[in-house]
Amino acid sequence: MKIVVCLKQVPATTAEKRYTADLRLDRAAAEAVINPLDEYAIEQALRLQEAGAVATVSYLSMGPEQSAEALRRALAMGGDDATLVSDPALAGSDAWATARVLAAALDRLAPDVTLMGMASDDARGSLVPGAVAAIRGLPLLSYGAELRIEGSVGRIRRLTADGFDIVEAPLPVVASVTDQVGEPRYASLKGIMAAKRKPMETWSLADLGLSAADLHGAALTRVIEARKPEGKPPTERVENVSPDDAVARIVEWLAARKLIA
Amino acid sequence: MSSDVAFLAEFADGSPSRSALELAAGAAALAKQGGGAAIALAYGKGAAGAAQLGSAGAARAVVLGDNTNPAITHATAAAAAVREAAPLALLAPATPNGRDLAAALVGLLGLPAFGPVRAVRLDGGTLRTEQATLQGTVITVSEPAEGAPQPAVVLVLPSTFSPLEGGTREAVVTNAPATEAGPLGAARIVESHPAEAAVANLEEASVIIAGGRGVGSAEGFAPLHDLAAVLGGAVGASRAAADAGWVPYQLQIGQTGKVVKPALYVGCGISGAIQHRVGMQTAENVLAINKDPDAPIGEFADLFVVGDLFTIVPKLTAEIRRRKGI
Repeated sequence: MKIVVCLKQVPATTAEKRYTADLRLDRAAAEAVINPLDEYAIEQALRLQEAGAVATVSYLSMGPEQSAEALRRALAMGGDDATLVSDPALAGSDAWATARVLAAALDRLAPDVTLMGMASDDARGSLVPGAVAAIRGLPLLSYGAELRIEGSVGRIRRLTADGFDIVEAPLPVVASVTDQVGEPRYASLKGIMAAKRKPMETWSLADLGLSAADLHGAALTRVIEARKPEGKPPTERVENVSPDDAVARIVEWLAARKLIA
Repeated sequence: MSSDVAFLAEFADGSPSRSALELAAGAAALAKQGGGAAIALAYGKGAAGAAQLGSAGAARAVVLGDNTNPAITHATAAAAAVREAAPLALLAPATPNGRDLAAALVGLLGLPAFGPVRAVRLDGGTLRTEQATLQGTVITVSEPAEGAPQPAVVLVLPSTFSPLEGGTREAVVTNAPATEAGPLGAARIVESHPAEAAVANLEEASVIIAGGRGVGSAEGFAPLHDLAAVLGGAVGASRAAADAGWVPYQLQIGQTGKVVKPALYVGCGISGAIQHRVGMQTAENVLAINKDPDAPIGEFADLFVVGDLFTIVPKLTAEIRRRKGI
């Protein structure tokens, strides 16, 4: 039984971000980390391996060469090997192109379970898991608070509007998990050392039998404008007053905005 | 070229969801600009009754499946319906189900995808979307690349459009072309566990009273419920409060919870970390009550009251009651 965890390197949540002249995120300028929501997928995969449900945990990422650092960090948490798909033609890839390339790599890696985080911290579309499932012709188990593998089926616990469902599909599957699977582990010093010796391959588009033309120049979408959000009026602060005065000000404020009569 | 605009219309328990009504209004407004029509792609329990979406703005409705199976299991039917209707754009709710089905269409048909967006418009026939990316630090405007196939798939955040009211028209209903669901159709709900008590739908609430770490316990939420009751609102929470087990995860607002856009958001004992902020930053009015004068929420709230929520919230509830004479 083999899991491939897909992960994306993103700018750190708190990092200053800017766009390049052609309106792409300047990924070289910002401190980069493993997408925080992908760390939960890593944690889920490693727990399944520790429980003996999975023999091999591999990682797959697509991105510039520096994404290898994110894969090394994942290998330091645990797992066996990693593959990076990197090609200059992939810069600025949209959801469709990303899914197409990951699907081509997954055709070669042929896992029983492809596991992803529920969203990326930067784009937040949550489209790649479903699009990969569609391209590869596999069932999708999405937004799992927990993933289990039982015999030849995958099973997730998934929150609903007022409770939860158990959703099941025959393997192989594509699955995504939420931040409820449990806190991701830290890499130990021993893990960091061990990661240096774990196998990592880099594949180009040509290695996958794809060309830039197959990907419509990496994107079917284009950004025509990037700007800072509109400035809001400054915050009005109410402090060092009695609770009664604070409440009086809140009531006034609510009434002025017609939120109470 | 078609000027029709399709939208994913999710049904649950026999009725269209709030998102279906919002997207019907949005699709109708966009379609009208080019002289086209709004087309519902209906799925979920009750989808066979999609004619009622006519009063919400849909001219036609295609039923993908009237059952409780996961949304993505309708993907091949949806793809066939999209091929047949050939709309200019397809609006999908930025909910887990909506995203899954939209994603499958992107994969099956090789379509451009946008969002989650907070605005979508047609500029001289070109679809343009506006979205906040990078945790809301940048607003980007996007459009389909030249020669990109149609439709453009657009994930739309809750409350981007307002449902139409008072319509009496019926949509013309057809069934989706017959297709093999294939492996994408294989996921099944094998157990369903509803909550013992009803859980509020935050995406529909116009007033949200949210509690965070500072609320301290499940019992600590009682004054928040009282305030919500007197304002006709719902109670929400930060991830810290949901992780602590004080409220169910369905009430979590933020990156991994709900994205809400109420007329009034009141944050009580919530620090305002970026992960929470992305879930509520489009609220029209933000009031924060926090003991910590340096809480980050103090930098983006409209009104920031530094004080003890357990003193201020009950007094506020009492004062609003007094004004209302209840």
